[in-house]
Amino acid sequence: MNDFSNAIKVTASGLHAQATRLRHLSENIANADTPGYQRKTVAFEAVRAGTGEPTTVSTGPVLLDPTDGERIFEPGHPLADESGFYEGSNVNLLIEMADSREAQRTYEANLKMFEQTKEMSRGLYDLLRR
Amino acid sequence: MDIRTLFSNQTNSIQAATKPDAMAAAAAEKFESFSATLANAEGEAKAALSGNADPHALVTALAQSELAVETAVTLRNKVVEAYQEILRMPV
Repeated sequence: MNDFSNAIKVTASGLHAQATRLRHLSENIANADTPGYQRKTVAFEAVRAGTGEPTTVSTGPVLLDPTDGERIFEPGHPLADESGFYEGSNVNLLIEMADSREAQRTYEANLKMFEQTKEMSRGLYDLLRR
Repeated sequence: MDIRTLFSNQTNSIQAATKPDAMAAAAAEKFESFSATLANAEGEAKAALSGNADPHALVTALAQSELAVETAVTLRNKVVEAYQEILRMPV
């Protein structure tokens, strides 16, 4: 494995991690109105395959945000308690949108690195082509 | 040093440098890894077509095989070029 193919491997792991993150964010957004839903958070982990091997990135275990959900007053709701409140999800749409925009930006940065790696290797081989 | 000793020296050094067995083994290893890369790309493409593969894995495999093919083609062109250069040599 040369450095170029290693770089491609690392970049692809970054793309994959960001795509996974985006999937969890979309699950949060889709469940923003689900009563009792706890938003999922996912952390990234560096993966060291061994000496001489490139350090890739992967998503760690999915964790649930333990904060309480929004209390919504709706006495007719089947889940409402005696006081007429029920617990909604603890998803904050603003946070999810900001996170997904960040995932998009990082994804784009990784795509750029992918293109750059290919361009550099092509430039190297062009030296032999005359 | 006359022309004969010069010639025999050169022949000896060429024979020592090439070592056909070691070179062939190294080349075979490289070709095996090359064909493994291509086979990997092919497998990923098949899996992606049947819809049960991660697109990132497909893109990675195809980019790796593109790199490998590009290397092989450049090497082949260089070897053919050198061969033609030898053929053109006035005898």
